[in-house]
Amino acid sequence: MNKKVEARARAEKMKQLRKEHKVTVKRTQGLLKEQKRIHRDICLTIRDTPKTIPEIAEVMEMPSHEVLWHITALKKYDVVAEEGMCGEYVLYTRAEEEA
Amino acid sequence: MMEKLLNTLKIDALVVGGGIAGMQSALDLADQGYQVAMVEKEASIGGKMIALSKVFPTLDCCSCITTPKMSAVAHHENIHLFTYCEVQSVEENTNGFKTTVLQKPRYLDADACTGCRMCEYVCPIDLRNPFDLNMGATRAVRVPFSTAVPQIAVLDMENCILCGKCEKACPVGCIDFSQQPKLFTLQTDTIILATGFETTKRDAKKEYGAGELHNVIDGLMMERLLAPTGPYGRIIRPGDGKEPDSIAYVQCAGSRDKTLGVEYCSRVCCMYAIKQAMLISGSLPLADITIYYMDIRAFGKGYEQFFQNARAMGVEFVRGKVAKITQDDHQNPVVRFESTDNGSKVSERTHDLVVLSTGMLPSYDTKPVYRIPAGDDGFVYVPEPNSAPCVTDREGIFVTGAAAGPMDIVDSIVMAGAAAMESAAYMSEKQDQAEIHEQAEESEMEVAHV
Amino acid sequence: MSESTNPKKKEEKDEEVRIGVYTCYCGGNISDAVDCEHVKKVMTDLPNVVVSRTDMSMCSDAGQALIEKDIKEKGINRVIVGACAPSLHEQTFRGTVARAGLNPYLYHHVGLREQDSWVSHGDYRGATCKALNLMTAGVAKTRLLAPLEPIRLEAEKHALVIGGGVAGLRTALDTARRGIQVTLIEKSPFLGGRMAQLGKVFPTDEDACATLDKLIQKVASHPKVTIFTQAEVTGVSGYVGDYQIKILQQSRGINNDIAEAVLDADMPKVPDAFNYGLTERKVIYKAYPGCYPPTPAVDWAHYNGEPIIVNGQPTIFYNKPKNFDLKVGAIVVATGFKPYEPRAGEYGYKELPEVVTLPQLIRYLELDKTTRTLTWAGRAVNDIALIHCVGSRDTEGVHEPQADGQVNNYCSRVCCTATLHMANELRERFPDTNIYDFYEDIRTYGRGHETYYQKALEGMVRFLRYRGIERPEVVAAPEGDTHPVLVRAKDSLSQGEEMEVAADLVVLAVGMMPTQVDELVQMLKISRGVDRFLAEVHPKLRPVETAVNGVILAGTAQGPMTIQESVAAASAAAVKVAVLLGQGEVQLDPFVAYVDPEKCDGNGACIEVCKYEDAIKMETVTINGKDVKRAVVTPANCAGCGGCVSACPNRAIDIQGWTLDQYDAMVDAIALDLWDLMEVPA
Ligand SMILES: Cc1cc2nc3c(=O)[nH]c(=O)nc-3n(C[C@H](O)[C@H](O)[C@H](O)COP(=O)(O)OP(=O)(O)OC[C@H]3O[C@@H](n4cnc5c(N)ncnc54)[C@H](O)[C@@H]3O)c2cc1C
Ligand SMILES: Cc1cc2nc3c(=O)[nH]c(=O)nc-3n(C[C@H](O)[C@H](O)[C@H](O)COP(=O)(O)OP(=O)(O)OC[C@H]3O[C@@H](n4cnc5c(N)ncnc54)[C@H](O)[C@@H]3O)c2cc1C
Ligand code: SF4
Ligand code: SF4
Ligand code: SF4
Repeated sequence: MNKKVEARARAEKMKQLRKEHKVTVKRTQGLLKEQKRIHRDICLTIRDTPKTIPEIAEVMEMPSHEVLWHITALKKYDVVAEEGMCGEYVLYTRAEEEA
Repeated sequence: MMEKLLNTLKIDALVVGGGIAGMQSALDLADQGYQVAMVEKEASIGGKMIALSKVFPTLDCCSCITTPKMSAVAHHENIHLFTYCEVQSVEENTNGFKTTVLQKPRYLDADACTGCRMCEYVCPIDLRNPFDLNMGATRAVRVPFSTAVPQIAVLDMENCILCGKCEKACPVGCIDFSQQPKLFTLQTDTIILATGFETTKRDAKKEYGAGELHNVIDGLMMERLLAPTGPYGRIIRPGDGKEPDSIAYVQCAGSRDKTLGVEYCSRVCCMYAIKQAMLISGSLPLADITIYYMDIRAFGKGYEQFFQNARAMGVEFVRGKVAKITQDDHQNPVVRFESTDNGSKVSERTHDLVVLSTGMLPSYDTKPVYRIPAGDDGFVYVPEPNSAPCVTDREGIFVTGAAAGPMDIVDSIVMAGAAAMESAAYMSEKQDQAEIHEQAEESEMEVAHV
Repeated sequence: MSESTNPKKKEEKDEEVRIGVYTCYCGGNISDAVDCEHVKKVMTDLPNVVVSRTDMSMCSDAGQALIEKDIKEKGINRVIVGACAPSLHEQTFRGTVARAGLNPYLYHHVGLREQDSWVSHGDYRGATCKALNLMTAGVAKTRLLAPLEPIRLEAEKHALVIGGGVAGLRTALDTARRGIQVTLIEKSPFLGGRMAQLGKVFPTDEDACATLDKLIQKVASHPKVTIFTQAEVTGVSGYVGDYQIKILQQSRGINNDIAEAVLDADMPKVPDAFNYGLTERKVIYKAYPGCYPPTPAVDWAHYNGEPIIVNGQPTIFYNKPKNFDLKVGAIVVATGFKPYEPRAGEYGYKELPEVVTLPQLIRYLELDKTTRTLTWAGRAVNDIALIHCVGSRDTEGVHEPQADGQVNNYCSRVCCTATLHMANELRERFPDTNIYDFYEDIRTYGRGHETYYQKALEGMVRFLRYRGIERPEVVAAPEGDTHPVLVRAKDSLSQGEEMEVAADLVVLAVGMMPTQVDELVQMLKISRGVDRFLAEVHPKLRPVETAVNGVILAGTAQGPMTIQESVAAASAAAVKVAVLLGQGEVQLDPFVAYVDPEKCDGNGACIEVCKYEDAIKMETVTINGKDVKRAVVTPANCAGCGGCVSACPNRAIDIQGWTLDQYDAMVDAIALDLWDLMEVPA
C-alpha cells in the first residue's frame, strides 16, 4: 500500500521534472531514438560476419567517422568487440552476450 | 558535512584550479600546516595532465605522476576539496578575501555516492565523451573517468531524458534529480590562481581544414589515442578507423601566428610532438613520422637529448611552414608546405593522419571576478616577472602554472612551489608584520650607527 | 581466496600473516612487457597470500582504495606492491597502508618497472618469469616484516644557503620570511652572482643591478639572515634536521675607515674577471660601483703581500682565514653557472681579436653606456655577426670535445633570447650597423621572448640558418679586405648557398656550464646528471630536491635557467625548507642497526667497522644480575649502511626493515627456477 503511494508520488515528481526540462528531454529523446536505430542496424550488419568501419559505413550509408563513434560507444559498453584485423582496419563483431 | 566544515574551519588559502600546478601549490601549503581550500570547476581534479599519455622528457606514464598527487590532495587532512564549483565573486575585507562559490548540482548526493558506476551502466543514452575530446563515448550520468578524484558520478541534465533508470540502479539511492545549485562562502587570507590553459581550437585555422577534416586531429586528441585508457584502445584515425602508416605533425599550429593574434610560442608543442612521435613508433614500429616545423624548441633539462634521440630513431624533421591541408578521396590529409631547407620549394605530401601541434591559450579571464588584468598575451599579468614570478598586481593574490603563460609540467610544478612560498610568506608576514617592522627599524638604526 | 580465518587468531600474539599482493600495470609500462595477470595468478597460490590483484595504476586513488578495502575487509596485515621504482611511490603506499590502520612499515615495494619491464624489451616470457622471481622474493620478505616506528628528531630551524647569486638570495629571503633562520655563504667577496654582470635583462628590459640591489637590500636587512662572503663549506656531517657544517672564511682585509682611501691608492692590477678580462682592476677592489657589501675586498690570490700606500701610510694587508661551525637543519645549493669558455681557435676565439663572447660584449657595452658609436679593437664596427649555440647542442663524435673530453649536448636555454635581446639593443643604440644572426633553431620560448625575435626580424637583422653538423666558420679576412674577419656558413634559408659575411665583430652566444663544485658534491653526497649539472630526484615529482634528504637545489646549479626561472626555483626550494623545518621536527625511516642483546657477546667487531660518529658503542648492561658489555646503537647517528651487520660473528645485528632473515628468504626465492610456472603463451 505504502509502496504504491510512494511509486505514484515518484512518478508524479518525474513527470513534473520532465516538464521542467522539456526542451532538453525532448531533444535527447529524439537523439536516443535515432541512436537506438543505428545501434540496431550496426549490430545487424556485423551479426554474421565481422566488418571494418568502411564496410559498415558502406552498408549503412553513413559517414565512416560517425560509424566509428557508434562502434566505440558499443565497444565501451560491451555490445561490440574487436575480432582481429583486415589489413589496416580493425574488424568488429557482436560481443558475446553474457548469460 | 560541508556546512559543518565551513562553519568550524578557518581556511588560510584558496587555490583556484586543480591541475598539476594547483595541486602542488595546495600540497606545499598544506604540508606547512596551512588549511587550504581547492575549488575546481570540473567534476574531478587533475587538469589537462590527467588526460595525457606519457610525459616528456622522462616518458613515465602520466597517471603514475598525476594520480598519486590527486590522491594526496584528496586525503590530506589540511586540504578541503570542492569540485564542480566555481568562484562567483571575491570581496576584500579586513581579514583577507571573502569568496562566494557556486556548487553546481551533480544531481546526486556526493557524500553518499560510492563511484560504483551502476548508474552509468544502465543509462540508455550514449554521448560523446569530453574527456576523450569527443572521440569516445560516455553516458548522461557517469564517473568522469576511471582515475577521477573524487570518484563521484555526475549527471548531465542537458542530455538526460529523466527516464529514472539510474535512480533505480543506484545501490545507495543517491540520485536526486531536483538538486539545485548552492552558494557558499569561504574566508581566506590569500588566493592562488591556477586556472591553467586551453588549447587552440582545431578549427581555428581555415587553411588547416577548419576542424572539418576528420583525420586532422590535435595534440590532445593524439594524447588520448596514445593513452592506455584511450577511446579506441589503439591508434586508429577518427575518420574511418584506419591504422595510420604515415603520420605528420604540423608545428606552431595556432602559435607564433599573427593572423590568429597569437604571437607567442606555446613552449610545449615541440616537445609533445617529439614525445608522441616516439610513442607512436613504439606502438606502430613501421609507421613513418614527419614533423613540419619552423624551429625545434627543445630547451629544457634533458630536452635536446630527447630531440636528438627522436632524430636517431628515424623521425623525419622537415623545416618548413605548412600552408594548407586538404584531403584526398580516401580521407587522407594532403599537406602543402614550403620547405625552407629546400630552397623554398612548395611541395605536397599525403599522410594518413595529421596532428596539429596546437598551442596554449588562456583558459580563464581573471578580470571580472578577481580584478586582475591580463597581459598582452591574454594570460594573467605579472608586473615583475624577474623578481616575483607569481605575484599579481593585486596584493594577496598569486598566480601559478600555465595560467601565467604557456609552461610544461616541470616548470608548472616549480612555479607551484614558488606560489605556495609567496602566499605562505605573505601570511606569515601579515601575521607578525608589527614585529618584523620593529626589528627592521632596529637593524636600520644599527646600520646607521656603524 | 579462502576466507576461513579464525577470528580468534587475530588476538593471539603471533597473529596470522595475511598478505595482499598487488601487481601494477603502470599504465602499460609494466603490462606491455610482463604478463601481470599471470603474475597475479601465481602469487595467489603462495603461502600466506590472501588476495592477489592487478590494476591499471595501483597508485591512483582507486588503486589505493582497493588496498585499503582489502586491509579493512579481508584482514590483510602485510602488503606488497609490484610497480615502479620505490623512490617514486614507496611513500605513497606506506601512506595508503597507514590510512587503513596498519603500521606503514608492513609494506614492501618491488620495482617491477625499472628492474624488469623497462630493461627486458622484447622478451615477454623472460620478463614475466623474472617478475615471478622478484615478486616471490618480495612476498618472502613481506612475510617477515615487522612493525616499526619512524625516528623522530628535533630539527634545527636554521638553513644554510650556499651561493649568493639571485637564486641563493631569493631562497634566503623566502626562507627567512617563513621565520626560519638562514645563513647565506658566498664564495666571492660580493653578492649578486652572474646577474650583476648583465645590463638590461629580458623580458622586461629592466636594469639587472637595480633589481638585484633591491633584493640584496631585503636580504641584508632581514633580521633572520646572516651573510658571510668569501666563505666556503669545508666539511659536512649529520643528516636532515641536524647537519654540522664547517665553514672557512677569508678576511676582508679592509676596515671601513680606509674603505674610501684604499680604492684611490696605487697598487698592482690584474685582469678584471667581472668584465671577463676586458679591463684591469686593482688587487683591492669593488666588483662594481653599487656592489654589496660596499666595503672593498683584497684579492688574496693576487695580492703579493707588499705594502700599499694608503693615506700616505705604507700598509700591509693580512689574510687571517677564520674557521667556524654551524648547525643547520637543511642545505640549499645555489652555486650557479659559469659561461662556456670557448677553446682557443673555436670560431677564431682568442686567435682573432674581433671574436668575443656574448657575456663579454654585454660587459663592454655596460662600460660605456652613452656612446653612440661602436668601436672594437680601435676600429669602428659596422657589421656584426652573432653565432648561436657555442658550447651547447654539441654532438659526441661530431664536435670537438672540451679539454676534459666532455661535450655539451644540452641546450643552454637562455642564449637565444639573450642574443636576440642583444641584437635589438645593438640595433637601437647603433642604428647604422648591420647585424647577421647565425642559428640552427631560434628558441625564444618564454613569455615575452618571441617579441625579441619578431622585433629583430622587423629590425632587419639578417638571419642565416645553418645545420647542426655544418656549423659556421670564422676566419681572418685576407690582407687588405674591408673587414677583419669572415664568417662562412651554408645558409638553408637561401637554398643551402655558401654564404660569406664580412664582419668587424663576431659575437659567440656561449652556453651555460655548471660551476665547479666537485668538493661540495662529495661532501653532500649528492649527484650530477649526464650534463654535469646537479641532479634532482625526479624532474616532475620532486624537481628541487636531491636524493639526500634535506639537501635542496636552487637556480642554475641545476641546469640552465633565466632569472625568472631561477627565482621561481629558489622560492620552490624555500618552500621545501619550510616544509622540512617549519614543524621543528623531522622524521627518518627507522632502517638503522639494532643489536640483539641476547646474541651479542660484546666482542666489539661492529664498533671497529662503523664509519659514523657515535652510531654504535659498547655499554655495560646488567643481564641476569651480571654486568656485561653489549653494543648499543644510537639510531639518530646510524646511517643504516650495514657495515656492522657483516662484521658481527654472532648474527646479533640486523638493519631493521632489512634483516638477515629477510635477505635469506629473498635470496632463496630469487634462486628458484620458476620456468615451470610459465604456461605456454596464449
Ligand atoms: C597535447 C599536450 C601534451 C602535453 N604533454 C606534456 C608532456 O609530455 N610533458 C610536460 O611537461 N607537459 C606537457 N604538456 C603541458 C601540460 O599539460 C601543462 O604544463 C600542465 O597541464 C599545466 O598545468 P596547470 O595546472 O597549470 O593547468 P591545467 O592542467 O589546465 O589545470 C587547470 C585546472 O584549473 C581548472 N580551472 C580552470 N578555470 C577554472 C575556474 N575558473 N575555476 C575553477 N577551476 C578552474 C581546470 O578545470 C583545470 O583542472 C602538454 C600539453 C598538451 C596540450
Ligand atoms: C650572456 C647571458 C645573458 C643573460 N641574460 C639574461 C637576461 O637578459 N634575462 C634573464 O632572465 N636571464 C639572463 N641570463 C641568465 C641569468 O644570468 C641566470 O639565470 C642567473 O644569473 C642565475 O642565477 P644563479 O643564482 O642561479 O647563479 P649565479 O648567478 O651563477 O650565482 C651563483 C653564486 O654562487 C656562488 N658560488 C659558486 N660556488 C660556490 C661555493 N662553492 N660556495 C659559495 N658560493 C659559491 C657564486 O660565486 C655566485 O655568486 C643570462 C645569462 C647569460 C650567460
Ligand atoms: S535519468 Fe538521465 S542520467 Fe539517469 S539513466 Fe535516465 S537518461 Fe541516464
Ligand atoms: S613550442 Fe614549438 S611548435 Fe610550439 S609554438 Fe613554440 S616553436 Fe611552435
Ligand atoms: S638557447 Fe638557442 S643558442 Fe642557446 S643553446 Fe639553445 S638553441 Fe642554442
